[in-house]
Amino acid sequence: MAQHSAVLDGVFEALADPTRRAVVRRLGRGPASVGDLAKDAPMTLPSFMKHVRVLESNGLIRTAKSGRVRTCELNRERFALVEDWLAEQRSIWTGRTDRLEQFVTEEDQ
Amino acid sequence: MNPELDLGIDRIIRAPRKQVWDAWTQPAKLAQWWIPAPTRCRVERLDVRAGGGFVTLMSDDGEAFVPHLDACFLAVDEYERIVFTNAITSGWRPASPAPVAMTAEVVLRDHPDGTDYQITVRHGDPAARARHAELGFAEGWGTTAAQLARLAESDAER
Repeated sequence: MAQHSAVLDGVFEALADPTRRAVVRRLGRGPASVGDLAKDAPMTLPSFMKHVRVLESNGLIRTAKSGRVRTCELNRERFALVEDWLAEQRSIWTGRTDRLEQFVTEEDQ
Repeated sequence: MNPELDLGIDRIIRAPRKQVWDAWTQPAKLAQWWIPAPTRCRVERLDVRAGGGFVTLMSDDGEAFVPHLDACFLAVDEYERIVFTNAITSGWRPASPAPVAMTAEVVLRDHPDGTDYQITVRHGDPAARARHAELGFAEGWGTTAAQLARLAESDAER
């Protein structure tokens, strides 16, 4: 659970930036090269690369280099983790029910 | 129930209904199961009546306590039903709790083996919150992620 939270912290931190969100939105349409992605960003390539690395290190995107071109694509499993809030809430309530059950049945003894 | 937004739990607990009720409504008892150990729980307010406050704090070291839940009871039928929501704070102020607002309904019924314990949790729509964030009302707020994922998916389908 704590590990899950740490992963989510990283995901949310990575997304708490408009440049990085723009990259994610663009990659939702399909893979793109770093060069193409950087064209849309009002900054130098080295600055843009820092954003790409934040997204990559938090698992939101994957990159692969072929020749001189680095291609980025969305890591959809990582988004599923964020999207799966209902499963997260269910596990919280199931845990509460387990602990309540244990508490009242042990109280008897 | 809306399967995309709500969840239900139904369990037979081998203890009398009154005992389950007491575990929910007595602060010292609630504190013992409400939050998973080793995190400590402090029940700050547990005013079990319609409109009453429900506030719990949590602590990892047993010294510094941080907010856990700030909610309001909507309906209370003694030994039978507790309904509360975190969409309104204990001070009746409208809230936007993370990751999503919910109303929880706990229903207790007698059962030959003890208590039939049913929970229904109805959630708000997290996408609505994310849209709010994307429009700049809460720039940088994390739930934008859910909306972005959805946006990414829908863009991909075009």
